[in-house]
Amino acid sequence: MSLPLYYYLSITAVNILMSWTLYLPYRVAQLHFITVANMAISGYTAGYLVMALHVPFGLSLALGFLLGGLIGYVVSLFIGDAPTFAVVMVGFTFIYITRTVIENTPAVGGTMGMFGLPNIGGSPSFHRSAIIAILYGLVILVGFIIHRFDHSSLGRAASAVFADKDLAFSLGVDIRKLGMLLQTFSCTVAGGTGVLYGFIYKSFHLDFYTFQLVGIAMTIIFVGGYTTMWGTVVAAPVLYGVPLLFPPAIAAWRIVIYGALLMLVMIVKPEGFITRRTVFHVEAFLSRSRTKLNNSYP
Amino acid sequence: MQALIAQIINGLSLGSIYVLLVTGFNLLLLVAMIIHFAYPQVVVFSMYITWVVLLLTGNNILLGVLAAIGSSVLFNLLSAPLFQKVMKNRGEVDINSTMVLSLAMGMIITDVLSHSFNHGLPITFPEQLSGNSPVLRIGLITILRGQVWSLAVGVMAVSGFFLLLYKTRAGRAFRAIAEDPNGARLVGIPLLKTGLESYALTGVLGGIIALLLVALLGSASPGLGEQVANKVLAVSIIAGLGNLPGGLVVGLLLGILEAVAQGYISGSWSNVIAFVVMLVVILMKPSGLFGSKL
Repeated sequence: MSLPLYYYLSITAVNILMSWTLYLPYRVAQLHFITVANMAISGYTAGYLVMALHVPFGLSLALGFLLGGLIGYVVSLFIGDAPTFAVVMVGFTFIYITRTVIENTPAVGGTMGMFGLPNIGGSPSFHRSAIIAILYGLVILVGFIIHRFDHSSLGRAASAVFADKDLAFSLGVDIRKLGMLLQTFSCTVAGGTGVLYGFIYKSFHLDFYTFQLVGIAMTIIFVGGYTTMWGTVVAAPVLYGVPLLFPPAIAAWRIVIYGALLMLVMIVKPEGFITRRTVFHVEAFLSRSRTKLNNSYP
Repeated sequence: MQALIAQIINGLSLGSIYVLLVTGFNLLLLVAMIIHFAYPQVVVFSMYITWVVLLLTGNNILLGVLAAIGSSVLFNLLSAPLFQKVMKNRGEVDINSTMVLSLAMGMIITDVLSHSFNHGLPITFPEQLSGNSPVLRIGLITILRGQVWSLAVGVMAVSGFFLLLYKTRAGRAFRAIAEDPNGARLVGIPLLKTGLESYALTGVLGGIIALLLVALLGSASPGLGEQVANKVLAVSIIAGLGNLPGGLVVGLLLGILEAVAQGYISGSWSNVIAFVVMLVVILMKPSGLFGSKL
């Protein structure tokens, strides 16, 4: 696998996972940016375990998931049913505090970052294949879980909370518990994604976990469509891939393009390009095609 | 003791800028009903425009001052229809959508500044505008011209703003909309016009803040907006969203706390203080110390 293709595939998978970690809490109208801080915390912790204590990668990855989930759970005890603005600010605060702690901790490289992480399994080509396999395995697993969630009574409860919190409460939805569940799950996924993100480049640096990352994830969700998980699946490869085709002079303005696109979508098409209606039409079309295909065989 | 006094003076001048920023932020929140995350980025944008005008006019201070205020007002007025359109799309006041829109604005401003001005390197302002020269020195205590300016102008601007808000007809209209938009409409207050006035007024405040930051810091960088934005939001949340007197108290206290911490804690740890306080407040008392006005 060529290096550009490896980076394209792996970063696309990371973008999908990262955007899903924001998509899920947003189902109950919470923009939970703490997931970005969790990526950094779990990533650096796993990097330290592998580099300094020679803990196997698999175990470090598992601990990354666990640490992310634990932080998510503890925080969700306080902000499980908090309003959007408060959740956003907790996320920003965590990002800022995490960055400062890492910046001032020499054991994880401080401002210089952590370099020279070992390959998984030996050769560089095996490392790349393994990272891609783990990432897309995770995408399929998390995608399946979100799909099941969206089609469950919990998913409908989340939609009710998004539409009208008071109405959902009067219908018997436990808003706090639902928020806690979604926040904890998102943070767990973010923890593991953070570890894999660093192992893609075999290094960890503070520049990986900036507010720009929040902006990219938000663009993917809101441009793709925040009402369904499929918006992220479509938007992530397109938004990351298209700027790569631009000449370098234009590609350097990637964040401006993302910002402008995000503003345009918020004004013109607030629900994003892939809506529930779009998914419904696609499912109906596929269903008709399947029926036709079945009928054509005697 | 002298070091502590020096840090408190430093903190007061820093705090006065926080107060101005949080006042503008809260006014937009209460009257225009938007969460303008990018308001501090607009302020930094004005600093950059001032720098360009100074460069082009051979350091003409008057034109620099006009550029700071003019660019901030213009940016705010131009962004007003975008916020209104987003709210109209939803058919209601939608603070979340305006928050996302302003986050996108912030992304654009920061990236444009890092690409288009001075090759992304920090900019420095001429001696006439930046206030790095000392006006008083007693032992360890050194009071810089920029500190005096920011404190004096900050106090005057905040006093003027509060006078306008509590002693004038326009101020009553602002407060009426903040209390009850529908009631304000019923008694004949034009919501759109008053909303636009709030954008213009916060634009003027933004320009003044830009000039005070120039005087206090003497330089600016593309990332300054994000740093300041986080602090302003921290002040707003600790005080209670939309609480103007609360913002005044917390802004000053936070400035002092941060400056004192800078004197005694090494590295960038002092920057975290505001966020640790904010985190504790959000987790323990989500409506803020003085209560939210939303």
